[in-house]
Amino acid sequence: MIPAADSRAADDKIISIHDLKFIYPGGVQALSGVSLDIRRGEYVAIVGGNGSGKTTLAKNIMGLLRPTSGTVLVNGTAVAGQRIASIAHIVGYAFQNPDHQLFCSTVWEEVRFGPQNLGYPADDMDARVEHALRSMDLMSVKARPPFSLTLSERRRVSIASVIAMDPEVLIFDEPTTGLDMRESEALMASIARLNSEGKTVILITHDMKLVAKHAKRVVVMSEGKVILDSDPAGVFSDLEVLLASKLMPPPVVRLAYRLSTRGVPRDVLSPEELVLRIMMARGDFR
Amino acid sequence: MTGFVDLYTEGDTVLHRMDPRVKIFAVLMLTLLILMISSLVHLLILLAFIALLVALGRAPFSKVSLALRFVLRVMIMIVILWPIFDPSGTPVLATLGPVRITEPGVMRGITNAVRICCLATVWYVLMFTTPQRDLVRALVKLGVRFDFGLTLSIALRFLPTFSATVESIKDAQRARGMEFDKGSPLRRSRNYISVLIPTIISALRTADTLSLALQSRAYGARRHRTYLRELKMRASDGVALAVVVAAFVMPAVAKFFLKVPV
Ligand SMILES: Nc1ncnc2c1ncn2[C@@H]1O[C@H](COP(=O)(O)OP(=O)(O)O)[C@@H](O)[C@H]1O
Ligand SMILES: [Mg+2]
Repeated sequence: MIPAADSRAADDKIISIHDLKFIYPGGVQALSGVSLDIRRGEYVAIVGGNGSGKTTLAKNIMGLLRPTSGTVLVNGTAVAGQRIASIAHIVGYAFQNPDHQLFCSTVWEEVRFGPQNLGYPADDMDARVEHALRSMDLMSVKARPPFSLTLSERRRVSIASVIAMDPEVLIFDEPTTGLDMRESEALMASIARLNSEGKTVILITHDMKLVAKHAKRVVVMSEGKVILDSDPAGVFSDLEVLLASKLMPPPVVRLAYRLSTRGVPRDVLSPEELVLRIMMARGDFR
Repeated sequence: MTGFVDLYTEGDTVLHRMDPRVKIFAVLMLTLLILMISSLVHLLILLAFIALLVALGRAPFSKVSLALRFVLRVMIMIVILWPIFDPSGTPVLATLGPVRITEPGVMRGITNAVRICCLATVWYVLMFTTPQRDLVRALVKLGVRFDFGLTLSIALRFLPTFSATVESIKDAQRARGMEFDKGSPLRRSRNYISVLIPTIISALRTADTLSLALQSRAYGARRHRTYLRELKMRASDGVALAVVVAAFVMPAVAKFFLKVPV
């Protein structure tokens, strides 16, 4: 009985990182001992100041960088020694800069490129591309050249081209940089939908508002280490650690913090919740 | 990860302090000298002298070996290929079907390999001891148009950025299942289209931004510019100049007027 339970628990981890260290050829130590398990279907935000090692961690998961020491397991198999193309079946990585991958003459071809590389069958290719385009709300621009699109659209094309490969894990590296409020809300809604459809989502960001709203687990990185790993409320209540890693909790959390002397609890994550808590503290419901 | 390496290393040697204009002139003179000399022994003596310059400039071993590894590969190719394609003279050392190897052919191969080594090393000494901005400054002072000098220094400045962009683009395509070194040679070169196009577009975007940045800082507003750092020739530069000119003129006179083989 017990071994069975054990293997189930192990199965549950889609990504398992143990004591990962990474030093760039120039000598910069970007990761100094990261251990992290991510379960199937989780929505994890990785936050941390610039240069804290978030992108380096993502590239190690994707196999684009090879660990200096330590191990990265994807779906139970070590990334070391695997071809990137075979990791790409399981992990999709949407790069920080979409312009680093777009090169086809239409959006449709761009999205088809990944699945073709992975040798997916031709008969359901159209359905696959269409599904990816729909999930990023891009059907109206499918015949346009990617370079002629707005940044928000280009970013969504780059994400759609990852979704079309149908990986279990999706890594988004600062997907809302340069987008306005509405564009980023729409993008975040699409990402939330992917998560509810069963995808494991790893969101790299320093936008704490997005983290408060969407993530169920937050991993805080600083100087190549994981310094905090908890739910958003738990992370935001640790103001000292956050400030030490050059991060600010979202405004609503800071307001709740100020109001905590007046009997409002600190573990508030949304404006609606704050209103409710203030009303409760005032005794409106008594 | 192929990082771009700047060969220059900070230092305070005689060669570092030398006026970059004098250095460029000296390297050009030495280049002519190397091309003029045809005796292997004289080339070897010259090579020893150039090696002395490398030592004088205190170039770090890591960069010297990096540079030499490249030169060595070229030299080996020359030594092997030259006798095959230049089989004139006697005695014949070996015949392999249509291929004839002669002793003068082999000697010419070795001589040219040493010559290439001399040439490369002279230019390396310049690179080891002169920062790029000084090279450009010297060219402008020697009469090259400032526009050209600026273009050159921007190009040099953006080389590392550019090679980082190319790496990032390759990574982005690898993450989409692209395997660059798989398939036939034709297939492989087609694979690189997925790197080439984003690279060109990124370069064009950078150029566009850069030109706006230059204009917004009034680039080209006046024909005559002032410079923050002026170059000054010193007595030691004059000495260096004299030595280099003598080193070129003496063998030239010997060769062309006295008909002494050098
Ligand atoms: N290609 C590279 N070569 C050398 N150092 C790098 C490279 N990429 C990133 N670094 C360094 O590694 C550290 C972590 O970088 P990165 O993972 O990009 O951080 P983040 O994504 O959290 O901003 C930084 O100090 C950065 O300067
Ligand atoms: Mg990053």
